Amino acid sequence: MSDSWLRYLNFWRRDPRRDVDDEIRFHIEMRVRDLVARGMASDEARRIAQRDFGDAQAVRAETLRIDERMLRRERRGEWRSAIVRDARVGLRSLRKSPVFAATAVLCAALGIGVTAAVVSAAYAILVRPLPYRDADRLVAMYGANPARGIKGSNISWPDFIAWRDDTRAFSAIGIWTWTSATLSGDGSEAERVDGAEVSANLFPILGVQPVIGRNFVADEETPGHNHEVLLSDRLWRRRFGAEKGLVGKTITIDGRAYTVVGVMPPNFNFPDRGDVWVPFSTTAADEAHGNRGYAGAIGRLAPGATLATARADFHRIDANLERAFPDENFGWHADLVPMRDDLVGDLKQPLKVFLGAVALVLLLVCANVANLMLARGATRGREMAIRSAMGASRTRIAGQLFTESLLISAFGGLAGIAIAWLGVRLLKFGFPDQVPPFFISLKLEPLTLAVIAAVTLITGLLFGLIPAFRVAKVDVNSALRDGSRGAGDGAHRSQLRRTLVVVEIALSVVLAVGAMLLVRSYRNLAGTDLGFSEHGVLSARIYLPEASYPTRAHSAAFFGGLLERLRQLPGVTAVGSAQGIPFSGWNVQTNVNIEGDPPPRRGEELEPHFQLVTPDYFKAIGVGLVRGRWFTPADRDSLAPVALVNERMVAQHFGGRDPIGRRLRLGPGSPWATIVGVIRDFRHYRLPQPMAPAVYYPYAARPSRQQTIVIRTGGDPNALVPSLRAAVREIDPNVALQQVQTFDEAVSRSLWRQRLQSNVLSIFAALSLGLACLGLYGVISYAVAQRTRELGVRVALGATRRNVLMLVFGESGRLVLSGVAVGLTAAYFSARILRTLLYGVEATDVPTFAFVAGVLGVISLVAAAIPARRAARVDPIVAMRAD
Amino acid sequence: MPRPIDLLQGTLDLLILKTLTWGPAHGYAVARWIEQLTGEVLRIGEGSLYPALHRLEERGMVESRWQLSETKRRAKTYRLTTLGRQQLRAESDTWAQFVKAVGKVLAATEQPA
Repeated sequence: MSDSWLRYLNFWRRDPRRDVDDEIRFHIEMRVRDLVARGMASDEARRIAQRDFGDAQAVRAETLRIDERMLRRERRGEWRSAIVRDARVGLRSLRKSPVFAATAVLCAALGIGVTAAVVSAAYAILVRPLPYRDADRLVAMYGANPARGIKGSNISWPDFIAWRDDTRAFSAIGIWTWTSATLSGDGSEAERVDGAEVSANLFPILGVQPVIGRNFVADEETPGHNHEVLLSDRLWRRRFGAEKGLVGKTITIDGRAYTVVGVMPPNFNFPDRGDVWVPFSTTAADEAHGNRGYAGAIGRLAPGATLATARADFHRIDANLERAFPDENFGWHADLVPMRDDLVGDLKQPLKVFLGAVALVLLLVCANVANLMLARGATRGREMAIRSAMGASRTRIAGQLFTESLLISAFGGLAGIAIAWLGVRLLKFGFPDQVPPFFISLKLEPLTLAVIAAVTLITGLLFGLIPAFRVAKVDVNSALRDGSRGAGDGAHRSQLRRTLVVVEIALSVVLAVGAMLLVRSYRNLAGTDLGFSEHGVLSARIYLPEASYPTRAHSAAFFGGLLERLRQLPGVTAVGSAQGIPFSGWNVQTNVNIEGDPPPRRGEELEPHFQLVTPDYFKAIGVGLVRGRWFTPADRDSLAPVALVNERMVAQHFGGRDPIGRRLRLGPGSPWATIVGVIRDFRHYRLPQPMAPAVYYPYAARPSRQQTIVIRTGGDPNALVPSLRAAVREIDPNVALQQVQTFDEAVSRSLWRQRLQSNVLSIFAALSLGLACLGLYGVISYAVAQRTRELGVRVALGATRRNVLMLVFGESGRLVLSGVAVGLTAAYFSARILRTLLYGVEATDVPTFAFVAGVLGVISLVAAAIPARRAARVDPIVAMRAD
Repeated sequence: MPRPIDLLQGTLDLLILKTLTWGPAHGYAVARWIEQLTGEVLRIGEGSLYPALHRLEERGMVESRWQLSETKRRAKTYRLTTLGRQQLRAESDTWAQFVKAVGKVLAATEQPA
């Protein structure tokens, strides 16, 4: 049978309809022929043949059905077996180069995992809606006085009233302020919880209803009617056993009976944590214009209003207020911030930096995956040529390369998902106490993961396919005849890979510089001379309930007794108390006049930090005295009090001259206080905020119900906690301790954001450096392998090992130098965005840049050293025999 | 001419497999052989041969190929596969037992106790 006939038959084999028709026609015609041969007339024969055959249509239909089913199955089977075959071949060829496979998979996995985790976190913090209704219409309002450098400060009641009643941009505005409450008298140990005073309209503005009971009503804002409380779901479950009947009953708060009116939904938080909410109420004294004592206000934008129109609207109201109350409102206006920005606060800037870094890492990962794929493709030119010569079609070769890339991508993707999943779970350790703020729910974002995985995988697939395109162009004969191992890597592609390596090194330089700057900032912060000594100190806040401690004498008696007891504890070297300890956020400033100074001009009033402290407070926190004397227990005269000031106060407001004996007072009308000593400056405000001038009065002169106890011990401060609790309980079981912590913890916690920044960027930098080294190693190794024969010839012609080593190093060196140069330039321009996050180091810090360049150069050259040594060991005979 | 007997279900497969043991054949030849051998006692609707053949092919008992017939026409010929041969052997045994059993009953002279 002729070849052309076979092809003809093959061609038609795949049309079952035609086949079935042919088969039936053949049958009928054969039958007719036989009948005619027996002497029948041809018309008669055809009739008989058709009759004997039966229902040809039915036969045809059924046969066709069977054939089509068969064909479908066959095709499916072919597909399946082709995929299985490709996958098997792919796996086998990956197993043959495990280093390549593992590197590519690891690289893709790390890239996908780390970036997806960070982007998920950024999404959770910056994008996912806050747990309030239409939360993007909510605006937080604070006070600002730009002339005095004040932003985000508390507000005053009259200002709030003016905003609330005159605004056209908000449909409603509510006011709130911090509070905390001591729960006692219900059989459990007394406990101090945080919360807020809220106006009755505040929760409706947020769009949140209690799940049990009701919101506050306007009537409850009046003093005397304000003994109502809303509980958090958390507190209701923990302390009150989730008892539904609690609503309507009374509980004891600060020694007074409060009626529980409702329980808020689970996971509801306001302002950012809190377990109890009580009605906001004011007395006549609170309503003075100058009293900026309330935390803030929250408004819901009216339909059609925007943040910009709201700001303009408030500008108008504030101008009116300033005209009406020139003394109290000079320079003050409202500071409007979208509620999310208010909550995210300081996190926004580092997050942007993280996202930028993530983009760089992802770019680097893609470059590296591409590089690996190209390197592998290059070594396989000969294999591809052989396959092609043996009759593999281009589609089959492409299919196979595709399957291989797909396998790597699939493994990389799966491992990447695992890393991302793990990474998101580890992220919570970046937050203080391992608890992210309530509005951040750290979850892996499937869409993010999908996009990042797609970017990485598509890169892998694209670059994995490049060798297949090349096969299409390559002349099989010349490729096979070509003696070199890799069948000639095109100069063009080789250039592409070198460029990729330069880009990789440059990217890691940028990341390393950023990381280094943040690490140094953190180091600078952590290494700041705090001015106090944080080791061996325990602190705890105590707030005495007004009901049982109505007068200053009551409070003084309690704290006096407590400090005395604590002093007796073994190992304790000093005990004191202040209103707020360093880094606690107790940054109260007060208006002070110095005797003999001219009255200050408007807007230039003296407002140093102010505290009431006991005699041993400074000893307990380890702050030294510069001159004069400490407070003594005898300094209790409230009409002729004494005061301490810090060095900064002396420098700024006493012209650096000795202030001892000079007098100052807290605003007109209050008694003059004589300065008896100057203490060393210490960091009371949270880092990096610098310390302000400060004035201290003895606690005994103005005892208050709120103090933070500080105990210094020679031993482990945590060991004192039970004794401290026992001491308080013995005096009054209804008094609760709050924020019991060591100074070490407090200091470390206050730097969490800087620590997070420096850790995250360090991880990125280490990752990128590893990837860049891998890329360089791959390129140099490959170049050496390709030039084995050439190097062999050189050695045979008398080149020394040293010559060969220098040749290879020279090539690596050029790549590293270009990469570092490009990277440093890029870093110089991009490090500016870090400026606001830096502390004690310039964004263009020369030593940092030099250090990074040096370290990267050395590490890169080490990565190149391995293939270089291999090159130097080339045995000329073996090299020239190599294919 | 004896009265033609309708074919039992499944018997056609058996007959087709048997005819193909003599060598590859196209559908018409299979039909002719069966007709001739049974002395036209077994009448197969000639058309029904084809679904049976194709089903056997689907089950892997026979395989087909297009060839040129003796009249130089394009004809689909069928050939027995190993699986078909095994199937034929097994089915033949079953058939023999069946015939024997039915024969015994028909030859019986006494009612069993």
